[in-house]
Amino acid sequence: MTGRDLIIKAFKLQEVDRIPWAPFVGVHGGKLIGVNAKDYLQSEDLIFNGVSKAIELYNPDGIPVAFDLQMEAEVLGCQLVWSENNPPAVVSHPLLDGKTLNELPIPDKNDGRIKLTLNAARRLRTAHPDVALYGLITGPFTLALHLLGTDIFMKMMENPGEMKQLLYFTTEVGKKMAGYYIEAGCDIIAVVDPMTSQIDPKSFETFVSPCAMDLFKHIRENGALSSFFVCGHAQQNIEAMFGCKPDNISIDENIPLDYVKEVALKKNISFGGNIKLTVVMLMGDKNDVQENALECMDLGGKKGFIIAPGCDMPMDTPIENVQAVTELVHDLYLQDVVRAMEKEQSKLDLLNMKDYGQANKVVVDVITLDSESCAPCQYMVEAVKRVTPHFEGIVEWREHAIKKLEAVTFMSSLMVKNIPTICIDGKIAFVSQIPPKHELIAAIQKRINEKLKLKIKSKKGELLVLGKNEQECQELISNVKRASAELGQQIEVKLITDVNQLATFGITETPAIILAEYKLKSKGTNPSVEIIKEWIKEI
Amino acid sequence: MEELFEKIAHCVEFGKINLASPYPPDMKGQVGADELTKQAIDAGAEPDDVLKKGLVVGMEKIGIKFRDNKVFVPQVLMSAKAMSTAMEHLKPFFESGAVKRKGVFVIGTVAGDLHDIGKNLVSMMVKGSGFEVVDLGTDVNSQKFIEAVKQHPGCFVGLSALLTTTMVNMEKIVTDIKTAIPGTKVLIGGAPVSEDFKEKIHADFYSRDPQGAVDFLKRSVA
Repeated sequence: MTGRDLIIKAFKLQEVDRIPWAPFVGVHGGKLIGVNAKDYLQSEDLIFNGVSKAIELYNPDGIPVAFDLQMEAEVLGCQLVWSENNPPAVVSHPLLDGKTLNELPIPDKNDGRIKLTLNAARRLRTAHPDVALYGLITGPFTLALHLLGTDIFMKMMENPGEMKQLLYFTTEVGKKMAGYYIEAGCDIIAVVDPMTSQIDPKSFETFVSPCAMDLFKHIRENGALSSFFVCGHAQQNIEAMFGCKPDNISIDENIPLDYVKEVALKKNISFGGNIKLTVVMLMGDKNDVQENALECMDLGGKKGFIIAPGCDMPMDTPIENVQAVTELVHDLYLQDVVRAMEKEQSKLDLLNMKDYGQANKVVVDVITLDSESCAPCQYMVEAVKRVTPHFEGIVEWREHAIKKLEAVTFMSSLMVKNIPTICIDGKIAFVSQIPPKHELIAAIQKRINEKLKLKIKSKKGELLVLGKNEQECQELISNVKRASAELGQQIEVKLITDVNQLATFGITETPAIILAEYKLKSKGTNPSVEIIKEWIKEI
Repeated sequence: MEELFEKIAHCVEFGKINLASPYPPDMKGQVGADELTKQAIDAGAEPDDVLKKGLVVGMEKIGIKFRDNKVFVPQVLMSAKAMSTAMEHLKPFFESGAVKRKGVFVIGTVAGDLHDIGKNLVSMMVKGSGFEVVDLGTDVNSQKFIEAVKQHPGCFVGLSALLTTTMVNMEKIVTDIKTAIPGTKVLIGGAPVSEDFKEKIHADFYSRDPQGAVDFLKRSVA
């Protein structure tokens, strides 16, 4: 099944095996091919190359042709100010500057940047038949705002009749634009109307609903699917938006996904979105992204849900963050890993691992999801298993399958972030990649050498000489002193002649020698029971 | 007189500007904030009372409703228009010093950003709570903010951003202002901004709605 099929299935609320993924690549496409937003949105070739690059890097099931809500406005006479790293901004409003509605033409497919964007759409269609293409049009309310400026809000109140005329016009523009995109091969027409987030449900129903309903009907009749993009804090209008009968609604982090899902499924309409744009996609790291995306996927489910960023991705969104979603969407193991880690991590009491790895033996910990069900984990464990016999008992290994809480605690305490990981004496040694045998042996050997050196350095002990009286032990004591002198080592010699003490050592024949070794195991900390057990095993 | 103040507050809260205004439909044909304010002044009311017991009360009510998602931008704009129309009658008293502002609030959308709806709303609400507002417009850089702060010692500064790319500029502007005039209190807001982000860039206050900013300012001068 192609990605396009998957998206269409989700739109039609059919159960899917894998949740489809639609990265909303706008001017971010420019970043991918090293051009600025201004050049990008004004060139058919650059849009084609940028989106193609995004398809290559992100393996999406669906993708927009362009995310540019100023295209229609520009054709209708709004002045734009271009930016290097953002879509342009509308800075003048023709209806405010004296033009009348009658003077505004319905944009033609050859006008302004419409032409080059449609050409890019056609080429993308041919080059990527398996990816669902989204044609984005400016929603009627947002376009009206471009034309009239913020006066539109008061116009709604003070002159509803005129407001309705204006919206009738912008809806006609929308229908034309939808038709052009459908003709160019787009599968989905997304009506992007972020400014509706600023109005109340009653105003929405009075002014926006009739237009939107008309627009979605038009799209349906022309054989394409439709989506209503919110982008913004519009929870108050969600019910009304579903009432406009689009095939899909896409929301951002301002609206809780579980709420939208509930309304959507009740109304038999698909839904999507919700990876956090700024704090996660733009500013977070790979782990943040996967955690957030998985949360959305688990909430959204496999019926009628499309995972996507909340809105147009900021230009500088790190490529690896977007790829992190791709990886997650396609990798069930990874989903399990992220899920297991997420589950309890926040509530964990981390162990104090400062003194971990001070035992005589070298301890190799393999942190896995579960070596029985996760192939990479299995290989990692096997690699360790194969190597340990070489060390004839001085290396001990254990698997920590993080499906169990204590293993998650252990993993977090060692600051391990990836699965599978090998730690040697509590230090992260191999992450994700299964080490070749000789590398693993070398790493363990290195640790053994370190420990040996440390041991020689830190050796301290005492010799207890036991006897009935001092006289009996004199010769023995002088031998001991000579021996330690010859070895160049400081050693305490203690004479014990007390009968009761002799008895506690179980000594009947004298003279006798007991060697007591002292070794510093921790200082200034309170090692956990787990760690102390390791030491006790040495006795 | 108290009854008149209440009526003024009611007009502001519901966005009733003047007799000619058709909004709200259920107050059609009635006088609005404009006429009632004039009436109060003519009857000898203290201008300060007209402001504090009438206009400010109405703005605060709409601010709270806006915060609680009971009303949205259009309703707030109508209230603000009612307020500013009424304020025209109080202007001479501000100029003569008979009525004092609570403080000065300098606001602007940060460099690179041309969006002004959010900034305008905050500006109106703050104005409506009795502060003087100096609106620097959009695409405002550190230098312009600093100059304005120097002109209005002890003022508060509000930074607005709608874009993820420009919110990043907030950090520089906050640092620049605080370096140039230590102790200046800087408030931030805008769709992509959050409490976490505020902490990160060491701004003094973040609110997701204008009323939060108003409450903060009032607390700060109390």
